[in-house]
Amino acid sequence: MNLVLDVALATALTVLAWRSLAGPDLFRGIVMYVVFGMVMAVAWARLGSADLAMAEAAIGAGVTGALVMVAYWRLRRIAPVEPADPSPRRSRLAATVAVLSAGVVAAIGLAAVQAIGPGGIAGRALVEALPATGLGNPITGVLVIFRNLDTVLEVAVLLAAYLAVRALLGDGGESLAQPPTQRGTLVAALVSVVAPMTVLVAVYLWRAGSQWPGGAFQAGAVLAACGVLLFLTGRLRPAVEAGPVVRAALVLGTAAFGVLGVAMLFVGQPLLAIPGSWAVYLIEAAMMVSIGVTLALLFAGAAGVGGGRR
Amino acid sequence: MSALEGVAAAFLLAGAGFYLAGTVGLLRFPDALSRLHALTKADNVGLLLVCVGLALVAGSPREAALLLLVWLMALLAATVSAHLIARRALADARDGASAVEGPP
Amino acid sequence: MTPATLGSATVWVLAAAAVFGVGLYALILARHLLRQLLAVKVMGSAVFLLLVVAAGPIDGALDGIPMALVLTGIVVAVSAVGFALALLVRLADVTGSISLEDDGGGDDGP
Repeated sequence: MNLVLDVALATALTVLAWRSLAGPDLFRGIVMYVVFGMVMAVAWARLGSADLAMAEAAIGAGVTGALVMVAYWRLRRIAPVEPADPSPRRSRLAATVAVLSAGVVAAIGLAAVQAIGPGGIAGRALVEALPATGLGNPITGVLVIFRNLDTVLEVAVLLAAYLAVRALLGDGGESLAQPPTQRGTLVAALVSVVAPMTVLVAVYLWRAGSQWPGGAFQAGAVLAACGVLLFLTGRLRPAVEAGPVVRAALVLGTAAFGVLGVAMLFVGQPLLAIPGSWAVYLIEAAMMVSIGVTLALLFAGAAGVGGGRR
Repeated sequence: MSALEGVAAAFLLAGAGFYLAGTVGLLRFPDALSRLHALTKADNVGLLLVCVGLALVAGSPREAALLLLVWLMALLAATVSAHLIARRALADARDGASAVEGPP
Repeated sequence: MTPATLGSATVWVLAAAAVFGVGLYALILARHLLRQLLAVKVMGSAVFLLLVVAAGPIDGALDGIPMALVLTGIVVAVSAVGFALALLVRLADVTGSISLEDDGGGDDGP
């Protein structure tokens, strides 16, 4: 019975990927990509990882879909013509390469799955070392304590993406997302109700991330979703300059993690050692704020925010 | 399977049936407004049935309450998105479905 | 609910391979840059799936380290998408086309 579910999900993923990429209409393709991300989240849940399911749904499907949709509308206004169909020789080449690469990927995966021998040495070490840290969620343990160099660099990559987008779009160019010209009263009421709830959910995810599925990235993505909603309904306006609060929020994640890590050197600990679970909460809170603000500003294509109409 | 699990399974099957009905409506109805009608009615009731079925076999009352909260939030989101889509469909029909300028 | 049996792990590996193949096929064939970006993202999702599934189960549950790596990967992927979209919009602003193939020979430069 479980195998039937797995086969159904696998088929759905393949079909959705095909419909997203090989369909004639690009808009439908983008919508299908969001659906693909959602089914991917279900697949992660099926594979037993609630963290990844939440992250894929919020970031992989949600934020990515919003970013791509806004860019699609902007591109459509600039260059409305869809390029012509490819030549048959190119189709044959593409099909051959695709089949070969799928075969290579399958071979690698099957070899790894059927490998005989003591696998998962690092994974077992993780399971053994986790209770000593006081955390209950192994993924948070890996992200914040055991392999936190990757996480510091990841937050830095987010910051770098924001800076790169600023460098490209410059000041004076219109921002990507424009608030709609007419707003229904229903949407305004919804935002008044949903935005505080979103913040509550984000804080819950941050708090729960140390023991149960959750954590800074999912919480940050939920905050970014709140930001997207506020931008779309005109409560927040994109601004050309980033104010001091926005700048502080953008660097908070990288700075908090980096400062704590370097400070550990002066106390005699190795670099990026984590002194206790209070430090985990602090770092995760800083990352949550950074991730939320960065993703929301990437969506708006703006440097900062200004207050909107009430 | 105990009686409670049997009732929960019946709820889940009913919910799945409602989802199926909504999807058939999505695929077969001619225009955006009627498709929206099928989707919102059927999917919201379907979600309620699924949530009730899961709440019956939930581990604790807290989980059951959280499941119903999930349904309420999904209802909120579906309401407003349906409203927005319907307004857009009306506006498109009024303009004769001409090319659109800005983001939706 | 974990793929403890060999059968379901095989299914997931084949799913990852199929999605990767579809993504690469679309990447080669597509001319619109947005489609190519979506194709790369789909290939990325396939690789994430393969990473998590190919690591064996540890005492019944899946290995936690590839999951953390994939979580990092998802966030980095969205940063890359944000940057790539800004590049696309800029390219379209400057050259007026949304494909890299229409400018055959001479182009305007940066």
